[in-house]
Amino acid sequence: MGDSTGEPGSSMHGVTGREQTFAFSVASPIVPTDKTAKFDLPVDSEHKATVFKLFSFAKPHMRTFHLSWISFSTCFVSTFAAAPLVPIIRENLNLTKQDIGNAGVASVSGSIFSRLVMGAVCDLLGPRYGCAFLVMLSAPTVFSMSFVHDAGGFITVRFMIGFCLATFVSCQYWMSTMFNSQIIGLVNGTAAGWGNMGGGITQLLMPIVYEIIRRCGATAFTAWRIAFFVPGWLHIIMGVLVLNLGQDLPDGNRSALEKKGEVAKDKFGKIMWYAVTNYRTWIFVLLYGYSMGVELSTDNVIAEYFFDRFHLKLHTAGIIAACFGMANFFARPAGGYASDLAARYFGMRGRLWALWIIQTLGGLFCVWLGRANTLVTAVVAMILFSLGAQAACGATFAIVPFVSRRALGIISGLTGAGGNFGSGLTQLIFFSTSRFTTEQGITWMGVMIVACTLPVTLIHFPQWGSMFLPPSKDPVKGTEEHYYASEWNEQEKEKNMHQGSLRFAENAKSEGGRRVRSGATPPGNTPNNV
Amino acid sequence: MAIHKIILASFIVYLMIQFSHGATKERLFSDLEKDALDVTAKPSRQGVLDAGIDKLSITWKLSSTAKKQANFTTIKVKLCYAPVSQVDRPWRKTENELFKDKTCPHKIITRAYNKSSQSFKYTLDRDIPTGTYFVRTYAVDAKDHEVAFGQSTNEAKTTNLFSVQAISGRHKSLDIASVCFSVFSVLALLVFFVNEKRKAKLEQRK
Repeated sequence: MGDSTGEPGSSMHGVTGREQTFAFSVASPIVPTDKTAKFDLPVDSEHKATVFKLFSFAKPHMRTFHLSWISFSTCFVSTFAAAPLVPIIRENLNLTKQDIGNAGVASVSGSIFSRLVMGAVCDLLGPRYGCAFLVMLSAPTVFSMSFVHDAGGFITVRFMIGFCLATFVSCQYWMSTMFNSQIIGLVNGTAAGWGNMGGGITQLLMPIVYEIIRRCGATAFTAWRIAFFVPGWLHIIMGVLVLNLGQDLPDGNRSALEKKGEVAKDKFGKIMWYAVTNYRTWIFVLLYGYSMGVELSTDNVIAEYFFDRFHLKLHTAGIIAACFGMANFFARPAGGYASDLAARYFGMRGRLWALWIIQTLGGLFCVWLGRANTLVTAVVAMILFSLGAQAACGATFAIVPFVSRRALGIISGLTGAGGNFGSGLTQLIFFSTSRFTTEQGITWMGVMIVACTLPVTLIHFPQWGSMFLPPSKDPVKGTEEHYYASEWNEQEKEKNMHQGSLRFAENAKSEGGRRVRSGATPPGNTPNNV
Repeated sequence: MAIHKIILASFIVYLMIQFSHGATKERLFSDLEKDALDVTAKPSRQGVLDAGIDKLSITWKLSSTAKKQANFTTIKVKLCYAPVSQVDRPWRKTENELFKDKTCPHKIITRAYNKSSQSFKYTLDRDIPTGTYFVRTYAVDAKDHEVAFGQSTNEAKTTNLFSVQAISGRHKSLDIASVCFSVFSVLALLVFFVNEKRKAKLEQRK
């Protein structure tokens, strides 16, 4: 497996959740099981698990999965821990609406940068240390909430806590060392969805912890500070567990990572070029900013919104807000599944339509949420909005693997960063000024979702078509091989660097939809430019 | 399948009931009788008051211009935000509809209505936020509906205001605990890291 050794972008392999049938280097459809290895799960020749057994904690594979997604979820808990407590914090620190909004922007901005660095950290130290370092070094930032006494301090601390969202990268990277690429898609998709659930868990957890501390006798303005110790301790506990129970590789030792690869390593500059010059990359950056981005923004504002608008108690608002984030448990995988279903009948065009429909519906439900005047309608609208937005996240990453084979890692990373950027931008425009009330902000956010989902219509694959245009009938340009091989120049093709892309193109033919599968076998697939 | 239809139908009916709720006429602040009670609120000292420590001397009595006093059952005394403390803070906004109005969220005391002059010495609660305030008393009837009010300031809410400084909520013990746990976290990580590196070197030498 030439691409598992720190090649640029390799830390993002498997993150997209739809790669199981398009494994990068498994030549045969059946992965030979290594029968000499004594593991709880069947493993391949590299001792990566070939089966995903959800309710097992056996080491090393499933244990890694659980350590990984729980640490990622813990970081979501601490990043959004302030959100449900804002009604108390704003009175203690004398915050204005702008301060609260700016703190929300700050909480999602830090990780845009830290996620990019994390890939390099994982390459240097391995994912176990990458995860443990980040989680344990960000524990002090969570504890420092007890020192905050004004808006500036609040914004700064939320910014610093936000860095820990980079555990997303270590989580996905670690799992790609433990699970075979045939199933890495499902494993990583589940981990990403369950990690995002932390944004919902925190809305439930923090108000309850706050209530308990208050009942024990603390005043309101002290109780919320003590409440932050809980996510702080979770960081320490998860860090210690990861260090003690985790291991870098199925066989345990890290030095095996330093093996010599036979395949020539790809150049970062080239990969970056192909990522950046593919216009589809930027459309997905925008799109993800309005599916994942609005999910993060809503995590920040929804509890305060229900508290203020419907005069609820803090923990009641928290329960409702939690429903939004917890829907990730099944909504994100469901979006991916819907995309796969559409692809079975209509190929890539089906995937694009599915994404557009799901994300637009999410936007419309968001508008409805902003305009809902009674509690019941607001809750129903919020739940439907959460399903739409989170399923759209799953559906987005069902298409991203096909945008590029060579630059997949970087495109996935850029798309993910787009999510955070979209969140920051949305909070800045709609939730940080006195110009809009929160319900107006939510309404306009919904309108913006619908508007920013329209560019899906512009995504065109010559070999598969787009939402409104059929595939190109050109016998050369309209093939999968041409599309994926065009990322390599002649010298690289002479060195056979593009073989992986060609294998990928072969497997990707199923994106042509039913007409391809039911039609006659396509003529001679062997590329004739070898 | 019949049970699914029943559940769906009852859900829709419930939603319709909720929708129709918005159609009832809401009680308005502008309908209340103004200045029915004469209210004074005297801070215990000059300058900015400290929450949890300083006191307010509040007195209220029936005004000579009051008309609806036959309905008065209870008097609710509340601490209210002056306009300067409502700027850029929509959760403190003044609204005409009484159920939406957020001007006076802090309860001071509730007493049965008495014709004679009443007074109360109020120690500012420890969860009062920093801001500028005045005191308002609502006269409430037997149905718990507001009927009239009086306040310690004028109609524009510009006179007789007082300022409060909130408690910080910080404690030395909390700060120390926070530092201790932070240091523990960083140290634990470093100790583990160094230890593992040392073990790996020892194994390599073997």
